Amino acid sequence: MYSYIARRLAFGLLTVIGVSIMVFVIMRILPGDPLVAIFGPDGFTKLSEEQRANYMRELGLADPLWVQYLAWVQQIAEGNFGRSFFRSESVADMLARRAPLTAEIALLSVIISWAVGIPVAIISALKPNTVADSTARFISILFLAVPGFWIGMLIVLGLLFWFGYRAPLTGAGLFTDPWANFELVIGPAVVLGLGQAAYIARMGRSSLLEVIREDYVRTARAKGLNGRLVIAWHALPNALLPVITLSGVLMGLVLAGSVPVERAFATPGLGFAMFIAVSERDIFVMQNLVFLYATVFVLLNILIDVAIAFLDPRIRLR
Amino acid sequence: MSTTVAPSLPAPPSRLRNAWRGLGYFFRRAPLSAFWGVIAALIVAMAVAAPVVAPYPPLKSDFRAMQKPPSEKHWFGTDQIGRDTLSRVIYGSQTSLTVAFGAVLFGTTLGALWGLACGYFGGRFDMASQRIIEFLQSFPDLILAMAIAMALGGGLATVIVAIAITRIPFGGRVIRSVVLSLKEMQYVEAARGIGASHTRMMFRHILPQCVAPFMILATTHLGVAIVIEASLGFLGVGIPPPTPTWGNMLSDALNAGLVPPWWLVLFPGLAITLTVLAFNLLGDGIRDLLDPRLRGSV
Repeated sequence: MYSYIARRLAFGLLTVIGVSIMVFVIMRILPGDPLVAIFGPDGFTKLSEEQRANYMRELGLADPLWVQYLAWVQQIAEGNFGRSFFRSESVADMLARRAPLTAEIALLSVIISWAVGIPVAIISALKPNTVADSTARFISILFLAVPGFWIGMLIVLGLLFWFGYRAPLTGAGLFTDPWANFELVIGPAVVLGLGQAAYIARMGRSSLLEVIREDYVRTARAKGLNGRLVIAWHALPNALLPVITLSGVLMGLVLAGSVPVERAFATPGLGFAMFIAVSERDIFVMQNLVFLYATVFVLLNILIDVAIAFLDPRIRLR
Repeated sequence: MSTTVAPSLPAPPSRLRNAWRGLGYFFRRAPLSAFWGVIAALIVAMAVAAPVVAPYPPLKSDFRAMQKPPSEKHWFGTDQIGRDTLSRVIYGSQTSLTVAFGAVLFGTTLGALWGLACGYFGGRFDMASQRIIEFLQSFPDLILAMAIAMALGGGLATVIVAIAITRIPFGGRVIRSVVLSLKEMQYVEAARGIGASHTRMMFRHILPQCVAPFMILATTHLGVAIVIEASLGFLGVGIPPPTPTWGNMLSDALNAGLVPPWWLVLFPGLAITLTVLAFNLLGDGIRDLLDPRLRGSV
């Protein structure tokens, strides 16, 4: 078990290094001239030669690329995420202020996705090809197609239109103001949660259908165990393993989805910060946020892998 | 002296007739998916025929009808500067579909060819490729597309490239695993036995077997690409305004003020949903037809 965790972590470290190189290539080398990325093609042509040289020196862009890369890695290792080009707040402060909100949304959305997806999967799998099953499958196919941020906009609009209600626009901590915090978080969490629930219901259904046909389930039935107990005790735990893995993959959907969804709800979280960074063409903030999102995604998937290995001895002993 | 008439063989069925027969088979076997396939075809037709179908030019402002709800004159209402929403939704399908088909054509195809090479050659090339694919997959796909689109600056070509790059790893993974199992087939071994070159083996014997999984992957990716394109537009890193795209329209609606008019929010989103739904269900149908083992596992 420990060697498995160690191996997984080593691979994870390698991946994070690869990710950092890739982020650097995308954000610093791809645009050709970073000043073009900052000022836009039009703004760039308005700068004089001298201004360009000044900006390059000021931003440390005049050094060779590998020196820039190492400087960036060193900064991150020190926990210094740099500073926005346009705002006074440092990125580290911004993270401290905004990240908890997005983390709450992500966690709550996962809980919602399981709470909705698993019961739907069980109903579908126990009575396949009935009206309930078909309805559930159609709704999940529908939810796979609907963009989450659009649902978010409709929810905001509907609440405003019929109830004159709008979630608060300023941030609120979980402990300082729990109710306002809940109002902020619940909308995005429901939208992102239902999006995941569609995948979980599909995967859970097919996984359960497979497990129900196994010999040990028939044995449990044959020894006279109550039908519901067979499902709950024997079938479900095994059927859920692939769903847990899927849940890890879906974290990508949550992390990425949080950006447009937070914009739709005007939630002051990290996703909204990324939207601001993109629209202000703030490549330094963007570089760090993209790296952070990818690293969190990698770490979460390692966590899931370890959890699966803990739950499933077949993987642990391999 | 008698002329011997060669026994006449039935003429081989023409390719066109084969295609028609295949289509008929599709309609009989999966009527629901075929129905959604027709919807998808209609959406494509609408995009191509946009100048004919759209009641107004998409950029023309009618200053006597600004931000008006749906009426007889403007079925989907008008936006803040009096542009007809219906026309803009119709023209939006052009951008959406161009980006989606472009991204799948480049991304999924490139990934598939890469996967073919990885699976066929194996060894160090495969190992290195798998690492790179893993790095690419470590990014949530919208985030990667955002970063690339931002770095390259807005525009149709950059959005296609940005989305295409996010599609590469999936094409690579899926086709690689298909090729790995095909390589062990006897007919491939036989081809190797009679001394076929690498290119001939790859393109003549292995590639045709990859078409079915590729088709399944490609139709699914069309839907994904449309959602990513809309999200990029919504976040302001897509194709810059005033080009009407569904994402841009939703973004404009939010910028309209604290309370966005409902018709500006509803219709572009419905267009996205309907298009993605059509492609997804068409893809499901194609998968059921081409790969019966997967049937019912949806």
